[in-house]
Amino acid sequence: MKNYQLAWRNLWRNKRRTLITAASVFFAVFFALIMRSFQLGVYAKMYRDVIESYSGYLQLQHTDYLDESSLDNGFVLEQSLTEVIEADPNVTGVIPKLESFALAAAGSRTQGVMVIGMDPDNEQKTLNIKNRLIKYRLTPEATEALKGERMTDRTARLLDVFSGEAWTDEKSFITDLGIRDDDSAAVMPLFREYASLDNRYLTSADSGRAVIGYGLSRYLSADIGDTLVVMGQGYHGVSAAGLFVIKGIVSMPNPEIDNAFVYITLADARYLYAAPGMVTSAIISIEETGDKDLLQTQQRLSAACNDRLVVRNWKEMNALLLNQMEADNKSGAIMIGILYLVIAFGVFGTVLMMMAERRREFGMLVSIGMQKRKLAGIVGMEMLFIGLLGVMAGIAASLPIVFYGYARPLRFTGEMAKMYEEYGFEPVMPMLLPDTYYLWQAVVVLLILLVAISFSVRRIFKLNIINALRA
Amino acid sequence: MITSIAWKNVWRNRTRSLTVIAAVTVGVFAGVFAMAAINSSIVQRIDAAVNEELSHIQVNNPGFRGSSDIANVIAGPQKVVKVLDETPGVTHIAERIIVRGIASTSAGSAGVEITGIDVEKEQQMFTLNERLIPGTGSYFGTDTRLNSAFIGEKLAKELYIIRYILSEESFTTLEAEGVPAAVAAKLRPLENQRFTTEKKLTEAFSGLLTAKEAKLYGMKIKEAAWSYREGSKIILTFLDADGMQTGAAFRICGIFRTNNDFFEAMSLFVPRDELRRLTGMEEGQYHRIIARLEDNDQTDKASAAVKESLPGLEVMNWKQIQTDLAMIADYVNRIYGIFMVLILAALAFGIVNTMLMAVLERTRELGMLSAIGMNRRRVFSMIMLESIFLSIVGGFAGMAVSAIVIAITNHTGINLVKYAEGLEAFGYSAQLYPTIGADFFIMLTVMIVITGIISAIYPARKALQLNPVEALRGE
Repeated sequence: MKNYQLAWRNLWRNKRRTLITAASVFFAVFFALIMRSFQLGVYAKMYRDVIESYSGYLQLQHTDYLDESSLDNGFVLEQSLTEVIEADPNVTGVIPKLESFALAAAGSRTQGVMVIGMDPDNEQKTLNIKNRLIKYRLTPEATEALKGERMTDRTARLLDVFSGEAWTDEKSFITDLGIRDDDSAAVMPLFREYASLDNRYLTSADSGRAVIGYGLSRYLSADIGDTLVVMGQGYHGVSAAGLFVIKGIVSMPNPEIDNAFVYITLADARYLYAAPGMVTSAIISIEETGDKDLLQTQQRLSAACNDRLVVRNWKEMNALLLNQMEADNKSGAIMIGILYLVIAFGVFGTVLMMMAERRREFGMLVSIGMQKRKLAGIVGMEMLFIGLLGVMAGIAASLPIVFYGYARPLRFTGEMAKMYEEYGFEPVMPMLLPDTYYLWQAVVVLLILLVAISFSVRRIFKLNIINALRA
Repeated sequence: MITSIAWKNVWRNRTRSLTVIAAVTVGVFAGVFAMAAINSSIVQRIDAAVNEELSHIQVNNPGFRGSSDIANVIAGPQKVVKVLDETPGVTHIAERIIVRGIASTSAGSAGVEITGIDVEKEQQMFTLNERLIPGTGSYFGTDTRLNSAFIGEKLAKELYIIRYILSEESFTTLEAEGVPAAVAAKLRPLENQRFTTEKKLTEAFSGLLTAKEAKLYGMKIKEAAWSYREGSKIILTFLDADGMQTGAAFRICGIFRTNNDFFEAMSLFVPRDELRRLTGMEEGQYHRIIARLEDNDQTDKASAAVKESLPGLEVMNWKQIQTDLAMIADYVNRIYGIFMVLILAALAFGIVNTMLMAVLERTRELGMLSAIGMNRRRVFSMIMLESIFLSIVGGFAGMAVSAIVIAITNHTGINLVKYAEGLEAFGYSAQLYPTIGADFFIMLTVMIVITGIISAIYPARKALQLNPVEALRGE
């Protein structure tokens, strides 16, 4: 009989203990995987949102622009450089961008804003701002008007909860308001009448038009068709002022951006800030966005720039967000660490019991001529089997949940959703598909087993046959 | 009797019981400590919100918070003050004028909320004046106090008022801070150079020092080089009461540092009378009246009473203004509650295993006990008690250890400097002083006992299923 066969049979001599120990490993692996999958999935979504709606993956900037984001650190984007960048195999486009701070007023209300000038047709190839145009919103007036209509109690209550919110797609609007499939035919026409809005996006031909963030529109109580007065400081301190008619309202993922977002065409921005031909940065869209490709492309492009310009990646530009997520990530890792620590004690306890219980047996085996080395191998293998059983069961049980959570992200409804939105997060918790984090769970369990195995192996080698047989 | 037998049984196999007890100790300690650390960050955040940023109760014109329109002043401010004054628990009251505008220097500009305050009254109400960065001036202490402004460090950085210079004085500071002379000598080439951002300074000294030195002394060098132009001027631009753009130059009298980046970047305080003059508002017109309470626990009651007496005005307490704060506290507590349950569930596996062993190796003994007349209920409760003892001994040890560690770290603090940037952007301190309520320990004890009971069910049932005759024959 082979060693592994012996080990496998030994496991089932005490079926209960094997199963309970394997179950404890399963428990830890399962929860750790589900937790990680949620956590990492949420980070991935946040990063994607910020990249797709604001920073892009790579940006060409003046070397000082990251630290001093002022117009004075702008530059003229030479056609020759654009051509060099576009020639890179991984680059799909270059989007010149001119942005600066200004004061926006509508009526008697004012607010500091970030005016962003880009060419809309060009921008849409890379960024995803157009998809953030809001389709539904619940103004206080709409909420009042809708209350008189017939709808389920739950929807009527949720109307109050979500008063003032906006949605970019119909599906999440329906989920948030708890509208059931069979009611939607009756209720949706009402919502279309009161809560939908005629929202258009900027085109390159537009002049004197702006798309603004929903937070900003609420703050200024400015709606589509209203005029926005923008005042600020242009290039080299000249004063800048302009009028823009609001053409569309978008909901940006980050409240800080949403409350200060004014998007106009590049030509308008250059005119407003008296900075003809200038940009403050250029978003470089790329094909392959994985870390390795990203860094390689960044290096290649940086080499092509003169020493005043530099190519930054999204991680450098969003250092704060990354830092926050990393702090959160660490707290999650600590939680899982504690869980595994507790499980490690449990496994260790099992090993201890098993060793004590089988002392006599071991003594017997050694006395009839079994090599201690072989015995240790068998015992080690037994433990390995228990651990692997737990890990594999944990992985197997988590997979359907993770795939389901990826395909149909968990979306909070009602008050819970509102809370997330107030914090500036979308109330969606997508899961991340199996990745290296799956591997890590197995590694951790193996480490725990290693400790347990080395303990039992030492015990076996120190075994005194006479004493053991007497036990 | 059963109790003492159970207790003695626990210690028959010392190593085995101690392993389980150690597991419970470690699990409980880790859970409690993690909870205390996270709890402290929320407690600290609430403290800062009340003592530095919001006060307890705010009264606004109903339209003001939504738009900051300068015309949205409070109707009948005398009545508001009177009502607040008569509300039990209110200790201080102050009126504010608030306008939105842009602050700019020759190098940069930023959107700000300009708050006109009654300097003396607010000094008694808030602890913000204690947050003054030493060496940056004072809280409205200068002669030119009328056009002086008290601003946050983050805003000062955005306006490039703060710079980094390694002056002769900085070198003296470095020496006093224990930076070796050799390191200081390496920094000499940078003497009196001006760096506009922290990053540029870091890049400069990183080039001169070894990586290890830069890591060890980087913070101290930055602290020493931190400087600002005394009495720097900023231009504030805003709309006046007639909706016309206006502005004035203000001298910075002091810079404060809090843990809340957003507050630091947005807030700018000036004397109220000066702001009134510039905006052309009339005497007795205010945008916000704030009140401070003797005790935070009175918040809900007092704000409800004020609200009752002031229909037509917006009365809010800090919980309503910072809804996220109350919610996040609730949310985090729930997450950690679930986490604690997870830990205890993981521990339960270990206890079940141990108890099962304890029952199965005592088959003969248990058979004997039933044979001589110990009834099933007693056997059951004996096993139960053994399991509860295992969990409770570990639980108490864990709680004792965590109480000690919490007491120590509450004194020394835990430093999360690496994540300071991210945490402070949300208003949370990177220096944690773990603390936790006594009620939590009571709840946890109950949870631990329940864990012991649940883990005993399966082994105890196994014990009951033993047939005395067969059990005695066994082995």
